[in-house]
Amino acid sequence: MARGELSRGLWRAFDSLGALSRPQCQSPLRTSTPRRIQPSTTARCITTSTPRAVEPTSDKPEVLEKFTAAPEIEIELELELEDRPARKTGRSDADKKFRNDKSKLAKLRVVPASPSYFSAKPTFTDDVINLLALLRKVATLPTVTPAEAPKVAWKTIDQYRIMTNEPVKTQRFHKMLHLLRRLNCVHPSLMPQEVLDAMKRYKKDSQPGDIVPSPGVIDELGRAKGVGRRKTSSATAYVIEGEGEVLVNGKSLTEFFGRLHDRESAVWALKATQRLDKYNVFALVNGGGVTGQAEAITLAVAKALLVHEPALKPALRRAGCVTRDPRKVERKKPGHIKARKMPTWVKR
Amino acid sequence: MSSSMSLRGLSQLSLDAVSRSAIPTRSLMIAPQASCFSTSAARYANPTMKKKGMGAAPKKGVKSLRITKSNKDAAGSGKRPAPGERKAMRKRIVLSNDNALEVAGLQDLTAENALDASHQGKVRGIPEEAVDALRAVEAFKPRQGWSLFRRPAVLMRKETMELAQIMKKIESSEKSKKESKRIIVYGERMGGKSTLLLQGITMAFLRKWTIINLPEGQDIVNAHTDYAPLPGSQPLQYTQDTYTAGLLSQIVKANQGFLAATKVSAKHDLPLPLSKGATLKQLAELGAANPEAAWPVFVALWTELTQPGRPPILVGVDGLSHIMRESEYLNSNVKPIHAHDLTIVRHFVDLFSGKTALPNGGLVLGVTSGSNSPANSAIELSIAGAEARQSKSALPQWNPYKAIDQRAVECLKNVDVLKVSGISKEEARSIMDYYAESGVLRAQVNEGFVSERWSLAGMGNIGELERATVRLRV
Repeated sequence: MARGELSRGLWRAFDSLGALSRPQCQSPLRTSTPRRIQPSTTARCITTSTPRAVEPTSDKPEVLEKFTAAPEIEIELELELEDRPARKTGRSDADKKFRNDKSKLAKLRVVPASPSYFSAKPTFTDDVINLLALLRKVATLPTVTPAEAPKVAWKTIDQYRIMTNEPVKTQRFHKMLHLLRRLNCVHPSLMPQEVLDAMKRYKKDSQPGDIVPSPGVIDELGRAKGVGRRKTSSATAYVIEGEGEVLVNGKSLTEFFGRLHDRESAVWALKATQRLDKYNVFALVNGGGVTGQAEAITLAVAKALLVHEPALKPALRRAGCVTRDPRKVERKKPGHIKARKMPTWVKR
Repeated sequence: MSSSMSLRGLSQLSLDAVSRSAIPTRSLMIAPQASCFSTSAARYANPTMKKKGMGAAPKKGVKSLRITKSNKDAAGSGKRPAPGERKAMRKRIVLSNDNALEVAGLQDLTAENALDASHQGKVRGIPEEAVDALRAVEAFKPRQGWSLFRRPAVLMRKETMELAQIMKKIESSEKSKKESKRIIVYGERMGGKSTLLLQGITMAFLRKWTIINLPEGQDIVNAHTDYAPLPGSQPLQYTQDTYTAGLLSQIVKANQGFLAATKVSAKHDLPLPLSKGATLKQLAELGAANPEAAWPVFVALWTELTQPGRPPILVGVDGLSHIMRESEYLNSNVKPIHAHDLTIVRHFVDLFSGKTALPNGGLVLGVTSGSNSPANSAIELSIAGAEARQSKSALPQWNPYKAIDQRAVECLKNVDVLKVSGISKEEARSIMDYYAESGVLRAQVNEGFVSERWSLAGMGNIGELERATVRLRV
């Protein structure tokens, strides 16, 4: 059985070698490869430039640092691609030629595509070297402070590892991120295209600010709509220019909210921006409790108000009316009485 | 030593047990009743004796378990309020606050200008004598904010001016065909409905109308006062003697001037003798003093009040929905008595439905309550109908699946309605200026502040406005 497996494996290897359609040694070796290689022969044609299948192949050539490799070897090879039919017909002829090739191949010095081929993480090393070269190039350009630089979501280390298929260490990766951040700090108006192209490789697919919500519209009746949520309540508020009248589910604010605090919460967006007497609000709210409903209305009114006056956003953010409060009821856990509460400890 | 002392003391105690009355009773318990061997030593011994239980507490504490608390502890340290004191406290009406500032330019309502349209949107003080009358008819409610200010004053809002217009119209109607109006006052909770009734009573008092006010509908029907079948009534009606007597005394207090000045003109069949040429005041006081005669006296008084040439009458009731349903009283078959079968309610309802006319003109005000009102679809329907009539739109359909009191529907068929909604911003400004001048509102009253509070008070609900500005100061 073991023997059978071995032979099968050999056959598969042989087949795969025979099925190779494209030449595997590309740039450094400008010779055509022999088509038929006996599996028993030790001189196997091994590619030196690793095919980066995982990487997104870009049509542009990558920016690689210049290095000097050994000069190409001129080998006279009789075997040409056009001779293939002849090779098929005359077996002994082909064998002879192949032996001839083998002797020549033995003289070949295979040069890796990248100088960092013999390092443990060639892609990563290449990346770092390229970035360093790029940085050297753009080092003299004016910069902005990191806070002012465009916000970029860089790939996480895990994403980078998957991309390169190399066990990159966290610290090294962070050092590379420092380079990237420094490159990102080049003044945006003078940012060279090649830097942008180079940084693209390290950015996440979706960047912050990519998804821009569609801007709110004021409809033909002058209403701006906003939706807000809090806990399990959700509210829709329609804000119109007016005198400060507020209706919640068709009731007045006092009828709907017994507590003064809740009333103030509901119109807090308007009150904090001194707009309470400039707009009318009618809100529809459902779900949750009284406080949740009031605070859902806060958010809804703020969003609708932003449609009327987008410049109020910083003021509303300071008033705490822009961000949705993400807190919700924590789920109950098995073994607990509530989310965190444990049963009373009993000695026996 | 001590034992011999106590023994001597004890022997002495037991001997002259008759003479010692001032000794604590506890020592009586341990005194042996048997006689001593000798009496002489005890007689001459020092009578000052160390009393038991007066020393310090045991050093190591008391180890015995005391399960029951002594009665003294259970009662608490403070003095418990006497029966009825708590309720009196709850129902107490305070109409002045010495700490509040006197408002400088506060004008009073007077008999001449009480119905003027120029008061619109102003705060006006209630004159002293009117305050007494209002207090007598219980027009001030305990939950209103009168106790915050120096003296009672009211905002003459739009609805008040409408009411004043109606009263003016009634006064100016022809003598032969005096007008009368029947109005349901409704609106939001804390919107000022009861205060509107109070304003109506104030204006009526100043214009020398006769005032009859049923301060709370619930008090009539909740079976807290005695009742008895009215003999000879068909279908059977029930009188509430104590309540009627109280009502008569209220009427006397509120209409003192007119009742004292008017003599009984007609012949009345009363169970008690009334001196000839008695005034109406004496008549009413007779009923107030003798509850068993209260109802006949009330009927006689009403006859007198509706004689030609007498002033118009203002009849008010607060808490309308209570008297438009079955009462808590039970008849002999242990079935609830309908509120309309109670004589006082029946009297009011007949006026309200227009069955009984007011020959001298007058105004019947039924005020609904926002906080204490059982659901009453008859009132809702009549309000919706009256609104539709006033706005000339289609009459509302009544929901056949809703229980509805037919007698109430009949009664409320043709009444007008007056909606008490929120006050306008100008009125809010005026009342908030008054708050500020009284010193109870410390903020600067400007347009922004007024409109902010107006919005927070649910578009000018005056009770909420007071709550948000004066009571709940942050």
